[in-house]
Amino acid sequence: MAIVLKITPTRFQASGSKLDSQRRYIRKVSSGEDLRFVNGQNMDVSGGGLRYVKPNGTNLDDGVYNGNFSGSAGTRVKV
Amino acid sequence: MSGFTASNSRIRVIETISSVDETVFDTDNDMPHIVGTTYLTNVAVDFDDLDQTQNYVGEECVPTYTLESVLVYVPAVWYNFSTYTPGEWTQTYDWYYGSFSREFTSGFTTYHREFTSGFYEWESQWVYDECGTYVPYYEYSVDAEEYSSVTNIANLPTDEDGTALDIDFVIVQATGTRSTGGKDPRFNQALPTTVPTKTFSFQGSVLLESSGEASGDSWFRRIMSVYTSGSKLKLRVQESVKSINRGAYNSGFPHIGESRSTYSFNLKVFFGKFRQ
Repeated sequence: MAIVLKITPTRFQASGSKLDSQRRYIRKVSSGEDLRFVNGQNMDVSGGGLRYVKPNGTNLDDGVYNGNFSGSAGTRVKV
Repeated sequence: MSGFTASNSRIRVIETISSVDETVFDTDNDMPHIVGTTYLTNVAVDFDDLDQTQNYVGEECVPTYTLESVLVYVPAVWYNFSTYTPGEWTQTYDWYYGSFSREFTSGFTTYHREFTSGFYEWESQWVYDECGTYVPYYEYSVDAEEYSSVTNIANLPTDEDGTALDIDFVIVQATGTRSTGGKDPRFNQALPTTVPTKTFSFQGSVLLESSGEASGDSWFRRIMSVYTSGSKLKLRVQESVKSINRGAYNSGFPHIGESRSTYSFNLKVFFGKFRQ
């Protein structure tokens, strides 16, 4: 039978363990992230070239790009 | 310390990992979830034909020639020569005596002398007559271009008050077809496209087409981006073209008028939020 609600000193489970304190729910953090989620335009073209904005917000150009687009860093995410 | 609290309409679960309390669940904050999904069909992306310009380089000479004739006297000449007639034996049979007799006639040389009269004749030749005319010659170049268009393709999900939600991320699942495959203006071949034939997923931007020079440097890019701004989901279409030369005189880019590409996309857009 599915667990409706179970609370022990080291674990919390509810709704058939859909909510479980031992699961690593993805959450947004201001620092100490495990990964970044790209959110927004992360490429630009100019002068026949391409700028790719990496998830950390730094630019990677192809050597031809001559624009000044600045993308934003992805959302910091911790699991 | 790991624990569960429920007080004042707030439920909170904490997991302690390596002596650090991490919030697993807190009703005061959002849980990570998809707040809305939008389906967009037949989203059109259209890139126009490229343009070219005829650039004056200079003038080149088209030479003319004149036929000049000269009357030349060919003088008279004596021509001396000789012919030799070889000697020969003549043999006769005498029926009366029944005997043969032989007679030899010596060879001899005959000397000749012939005279050819002098005469006049015309000698003609084509003589370069400098540049009769000058004609301009041109080199063609693809026009540099920076194109960008932004359109609102959807509204963001809203709360119960109709206020657009603050979206943390957008994931796009797309299927697309290139309805018109533009050609590289230099060659009779379609521009390579990166759009796969099956469903693909992206966040942010997608490179649609590109082309390079002989050196490998890029001169042509077409991209699209899907992102949120304000209360809208936006589609930005961009094209960037660096001018390149044809590399031959008086010859335009043969496929400049076939460089238009069009796409049609079906987009399934997931709007999501993370737990704070």
